[in-house]
Amino acid sequence: MAAQGGVLFQEKVSRLLSRENGKPVLKPNRPLILKDSVGNRKPRKGEASCVTEMSLLMACWKQNNFVDSLCSNEINTFYTCVHKAEAARKNMSEQSNVTGGRLTPKQATTLLKRFPNLRSEI
Amino acid sequence: MAASISGLLKPWTPRVLLVRWSRYNPYYLEPEVRKEAYSRPESELSAEEKEERELKKLRPIKAATNSTTSSLFNDPVLSKFINMMMKHGEKTLAREIMMQTLENIKRKQVEKYHKATDGQKEGIECNPYVVFHQALENCKPVVALASIQKGGKYYQVPIPVTGNRQRFLAMKWMITECRDNKHRRTHMYEKLSQELLAAFANEGNVIRKKHELHKMAEANRAYAHYRWW
Repeated sequence: MAAQGGVLFQEKVSRLLSRENGKPVLKPNRPLILKDSVGNRKPRKGEASCVTEMSLLMACWKQNNFVDSLCSNEINTFYTCVHKAEAARKNMSEQSNVTGGRLTPKQATTLLKRFPNLRSEI
Repeated sequence: MAASISGLLKPWTPRVLLVRWSRYNPYYLEPEVRKEAYSRPESELSAEEKEERELKKLRPIKAATNSTTSSLFNDPVLSKFINMMMKHGEKTLAREIMMQTLENIKRKQVEKYHKATDGQKEGIECNPYVVFHQALENCKPVVALASIQKGGKYYQVPIPVTGNRQRFLAMKWMITECRDNKHRRTHMYEKLSQELLAAFANEGNVIRKKHELHKMAEANRAYAHYRWW
């Protein structure tokens, strides 16, 4: 598909750069060559998990002067919440990796680096 | 030779076969040293464990380190502590110090046991391994602070701390406290045994450090929403 559209695309680029039809549309200050990397996607920011359990735990600490043995219930609920949040996050990231059919930016960059753009004839 | 993402990993053997290095291809699996894991009959295994066994037949496995054994006395937490105490690669010295510490703990506890009245005798724990593990458990922090940037400023945000980090912090505090804050003419095993026994009873400098961290986290609890995970 790149071979069929390749020649037409090169002709279009040379038309954009030429001075024959008035001023050129493109005035590139760097050579028009593709990079071997892809820009990074900004991951969406979530919210803090387990804030309620943490605040309960801290209230318990405040009451009992930070003795851990008296707050063991709150500590256990906090740990369960943390483990669940961790597992949920792992599941989410795994799901988004497996489905989608697209590569993540990191994977695309690695692939492009393995087969880089040839800048000179070898 | 390094493979980056598991999607591109294929079955392969390296050109240079590895003896135990610390960096392995992620394709390699961890070795299972415990004898009990192999003596279980087929019927007791669940479906995932059967799958794991099948996988282990096909994949290459990392070589086990010299310090891991399949004996009853192999303790991964203890090995980690010895490694953290080790300086300049002198494992024998670090191990010697650890054994002397455990012996010292046992001596002190047995002395207390013999001097105690009958009612108190059951409360005294003489097994030094139990004392060591319980002392480390008591030193583990539940929340820690992380420096998070928001709006140009850095805030100390309380975050939950996971198993490995907790263990690391407890061990690190114990070792640095014994190295720095004790009288210089006492032996390391003496300092360690004192601090471990104090931590077992929830007293001492390491427990105090943990409580101070908890207090700081409690003071900064308003910033807890600055986390995004």
